[in-house]
Amino acid sequence: MDLTDGIVEHLRHAVSSPDLSATHFELESEIGRGGMGVVYAAHDRKLDRRVALKVIDAPIDGEAQLIARLEHPAIVPVYDTGILPDGRAWYAMKLVSGARLDTYLAAAPSVAERLRIFRRVGEAVAFAHTLEAIHRDLKPQNIMVGQFGEVYVMDWGVPAVAGTPAFRAPEGSLDIRSDIYAMGALLQFMLPDGASPALRAIAAKAMQPDSAARYADAAALLADIDRFQEGLAVEAWNEPLWYSLRRFGSRNAVLLWLLAAYASVKFLLFFLKRL
Amino acid sequence: MSFDDTAIGGPQGQFPSTQVSLLDAVSAGLVGEALERVVALYWKPVYRFLRVKFGKDNEDAKDLTQSFFAGALERNLLGQFDPAKGSFRGYLRMAVERFAANQHAASEAMKRGGDVRFVPLDEVDIAGVDADEVFEREWRRQLFGLAVDDLRALAEREGKLQHFAIFEEYDLSQTDRPTYAALAARHGIAETSVTNHLAWARRMLRGFVTERLRGVTPGERELREEMRRLWT
Repeated sequence: MDLTDGIVEHLRHAVSSPDLSATHFELESEIGRGGMGVVYAAHDRKLDRRVALKVIDAPIDGEAQLIARLEHPAIVPVYDTGILPDGRAWYAMKLVSGARLDTYLAAAPSVAERLRIFRRVGEAVAFAHTLEAIHRDLKPQNIMVGQFGEVYVMDWGVPAVAGTPAFRAPEGSLDIRSDIYAMGALLQFMLPDGASPALRAIAAKAMQPDSAARYADAAALLADIDRFQEGLAVEAWNEPLWYSLRRFGSRNAVLLWLLAAYASVKFLLFFLKRL
Repeated sequence: MSFDDTAIGGPQGQFPSTQVSLLDAVSAGLVGEALERVVALYWKPVYRFLRVKFGKDNEDAKDLTQSFFAGALERNLLGQFDPAKGSFRGYLRMAVERFAANQHAASEAMKRGGDVRFVPLDEVDIAGVDADEVFEREWRRQLFGLAVDDLRALAEREGKLQHFAIFEEYDLSQTDRPTYAALAARHGIAETSVTNHLAWARRMLRGFVTERLRGVTPGERELREEMRRLWT
């Protein structure tokens, strides 16, 4: 049958809209499209609230239950999941209002704020890893910063996802270390121009091509960030002497000022006694 | 310029509702069957691509398309496809281009007594029409056209002619779409039944599109990529 361009376009749209007639959700509008599927704003008729409903082309099988078990303040809670009559999988999540991380960073937040967000992401990843869940596709587009500063990591563990090139580890198989690689790439992405070489070194260590040379887990990566923020030497970088001295000076500024003041007073008293 | 002057390669071919992938069919020795699926879906896109890309008239384009597919078995067209190097659709389009360029060179050689001159392909594109875009558009049109035929056949088999009629009147409408209420009144059914009939038809149509695609893609990964490209 020969169809006009207009009918083909209509069919593409009509057929791709999920058939939710067997669920208690009602489609409102499309709010985003990603590599593996489409996210819609939907209305939950049963609980009378708005949700985000993601429809993905890949089967999610037991992964949906795993995602639902990831109860963490930085992981978008999954409310419900199911299979559409056409075989596509869907899950309903909390509808987060805020900005995607890449958009949020465009407003040039401080390094401290960037590290706060990165820490929240890292905590969520570390928690998921304890349940043997890996994200597989960590990237700025999968992270939301809410209107109260809350951070959410979304799109967990879709099996068919092989990562996004700039954030994908070079090895073929995906495991905890490939998430660590993606965290390194994420940190690198989040750092502004002129960021400390110690932070750049942390990102580089997480992104080592040899997975064994990366941080063993997300907690180890965050511990190195802690060291940086406390003014200590980071594990990822064999820092030069000048940097050690500068770091020491910066970390012990009050003590150094006190010592300088004490020395000045002693010096002054020494001359006053001679008068 | 109209390119709708051929009925060859249309919806005549009927395929089982569950198809194996292209490579599975080839490795199982079902090359002929696999090729039939490819011809059913790609005959018109190839024909229209040749008309635009090489400025062929209707008959020449038909002959060239026919020659391309007729010689596909001898040239081991399917066997030479390597999924690691790209999609089957891209591979087929390149194969058509090479085939047409060789044919063009051969005919030029005959005319000039051996003084072959290749015409750069981009120069013979018909002004304002992108041949690659035509190929993609025709591929989508043919894919949906075949799936609609599959749906009609299913509706006839299962006695769901009213379902198909409502789908046809609404989703295949050339002019303004009727309201669900108008369709319900026309068919003497409840408005919710119109919704359900349309939902059934669209669900089946999506299934047929998927099956048609599965038959011409090498495996699940490319199938998913094709599906994603189709819906976005």
